[in-house]
Amino acid sequence: MSAPVRVVITGVGVVNAAIVGDSAALGAFLAAPRPASGVAEGGVARVPSSVLPGLIDAGDARRLSRVCQLSIAAARLAVRESRIDAGGGLGLVIGTEFGDLASTHVFADGFLERGPAGLSALLFPNTVMNTMAATTAIAVGARELTLTLNAPTVAGELAVARGAAAVASGRARAVLAGGVDEIDPVVERHLPDLGFGGDTLGEGAAFVVLESRATAEARGATILGEIAAATWRALPARPWGVGRQRRSQAVTAALDHAGIAAEDVGAVYGSASGDRARDAWEAAVLGAALGASTPPVARLARLLGRHAGLGVLRVAAAAWTARSGLLPAAGAPPTGLTRVASPTGLVHGLARGGAHVALVVGGP
Amino acid sequence: MRRVVVTGLGAVTPLGLGVKAYWSGLASGTCALRPLTVIETESFRCRIGGEVPEAVGGSWRRTRADRLAIAAADEALADAGLGEPERQGAALVVGAVGGGMLEAEAWYWAASRGRRARALPAVRSMLPCAHADTLAARFRLGGPRHTVVTACSSGAVALAEAAALIEAGVAETALAGGVDSITRICFMGFNALKLLDPAPCRPFDRDRRGMSIGEGAGFVVLEEETRARARGARVYAELAGYGMTTDAYHVTAPEPDGEGMARAIQAALAQAREEPAAVGYANAHGTGTPQNDRVEARALERVFGEGGLLVSSTKSMIGHTMAAAGSLEAIATVLALGHRVVPPTANLDIPDPEVHFDCVARVSRESAVDCAISNSFGFGGQNVTLLFRRR
Repeated sequence: MSAPVRVVITGVGVVNAAIVGDSAALGAFLAAPRPASGVAEGGVARVPSSVLPGLIDAGDARRLSRVCQLSIAAARLAVRESRIDAGGGLGLVIGTEFGDLASTHVFADGFLERGPAGLSALLFPNTVMNTMAATTAIAVGARELTLTLNAPTVAGELAVARGAAAVASGRARAVLAGGVDEIDPVVERHLPDLGFGGDTLGEGAAFVVLESRATAEARGATILGEIAAATWRALPARPWGVGRQRRSQAVTAALDHAGIAAEDVGAVYGSASGDRARDAWEAAVLGAALGASTPPVARLARLLGRHAGLGVLRVAAAAWTARSGLLPAAGAPPTGLTRVASPTGLVHGLARGGAHVALVVGGP
Repeated sequence: MRRVVVTGLGAVTPLGLGVKAYWSGLASGTCALRPLTVIETESFRCRIGGEVPEAVGGSWRRTRADRLAIAAADEALADAGLGEPERQGAALVVGAVGGGMLEAEAWYWAASRGRRARALPAVRSMLPCAHADTLAARFRLGGPRHTVVTACSSGAVALAEAAALIEAGVAETALAGGVDSITRICFMGFNALKLLDPAPCRPFDRDRRGMSIGEGAGFVVLEEETRARARGARVYAELAGYGMTTDAYHVTAPEPDGEGMARAIQAALAQAREEPAAVGYANAHGTGTPQNDRVEARALERVFGEGGLLVSSTKSMIGHTMAAAGSLEAIATVLALGHRVVPPTANLDIPDPEVHFDCVARVSRESAVDCAISNSFGFGGQNVTLLFRRR
């Protein structure tokens, strides 16, 4: 039996309300964490309008919806940092919670205002949630498997977990795994109806390049961290509800797969976004899984706002923690840094409805 | 190596409720495309599609798509004889595109016209992932769960994803499939792209003019073979291989040479360790648009050469059921292997001379096929091929 494939991170790309850049930009933010503009004022963390023109050329900006531009910009940053040749085989997995609902509303409004003559053939493809994957695959030349995963809260973590599984199984030589969301006014207005009333909202995209350690080393890539385990399971809950079960198969399986015990986990990056019922459930699940050894938990959503990109960013941040020994946003106020006892981090995502993801992330 | 087999089937289609009605309609070449009633079609050039003709069970508080999904999933789980213990660890992978958009549209339309409408049910059920949460709660499926959105190939990708979980040992059993109801946005969008034929679609016909939209749900139970055999389950077929590739060429148009599609077919063959000659039937994506059918034929020719392979399009009978298409066509392929009958391409009168395959015009064909593929392609150049083998 061959040895299990070790999956490593070789590139990071982030575009959100506070960070634009690769792993260095992410590290700079994590070393001096602060609330993004908007969050500090109790609002939402929007990507400033000045950001995208510096990352997307005018032609793409004309053709592509904003959420597709966010996706492409972050994906290109990650690919550039990894220096990977997409021609050698690159898969793409994108997690999203809301897709391109903004375009969907514009498409529908066209009909409501002008009837069939108001329908835009150019906008229609954007109403399908894989539009970000479609445009990003073209932009970076990803020609292997392409997946768009839709889930509340955990879409980004799920995309990384699925991408890591594709590399580990040998299905893909390398995978660009990311998450992207855009704040849509209609969704923003109705999120409280779904129980997300307390959430800190954000938007943006984050990507990581995943490949086998052997491949990365062979091509001389800089390894930023290792995904030692990536699992996804589900806990019982009604749709959009929080459950009562605390026993986590996802965390147990992830620790088993990584070959570590609960007390070896030095830091946790949790979903914690301000949705009180969901946050309490997650805390209970983590407490049950990690017991008395529960390490400090970083709550980046309080700084950057909840969006699918944040789930991916958390994975890259866990790799930074493994390298630096520091954990941001684990206390109150969330602008401090905590020194961790062990470099191994757990990235944990739990959604209303029960979708549940756990990744064990280590250093290079 | 862990083999993945199909042990349960469930289908809700424009041909009726249940797998029996589905296969009966397919085998007899019945075209179920007729005037649409679930949405308003006035002032559009095309006014037909494949609509599920009967009321499906379940609460009317659920979305139409959720009701379709529940009915098909219920049939598949019952068909497989999966009890509560097996369901607890079963994975669930759902391919979806529209989610509860039909109801969300009704709310949005009403709100935009100043009428009072309740937002909560529409917003709750709007996203594609709503189906998976509904099915998991309804059938107490406790294993890994995810929702894939790969446009028109979503249903097929769901099966491939579930097979991957079983192969990797993450799950022993999985419920996988796709669902979509007809929605205004989908109907209007394809009208805007001028891809709809006002008459029932005619895949692979020389004079084809476009596709017909449809709706439905198709779910299958997949299991690791030794476990399925141990519990005495009926094995329909083996899902012996799958391939997923991307054109990275254009958001809506396929790569003209069919290279990406061919790579998906070759990947499925490689995993199954089959030579092209072993494959006797291809259930085509076969939408009926001039460009798609031609490119798919080129892809098939790249892999299989001209001739021998039988090719047919399920969409000629039920329309393009979007996220459900890939899983419903997988079910048609599995049934073709089991019945040793290749379903036809309805409405095919004059074969396209550029399509160098026997596309089984109008009448089904008895054929001792042991190995068959089902192709699914989607916006964004998302290519998927599933390879099934008799066991």
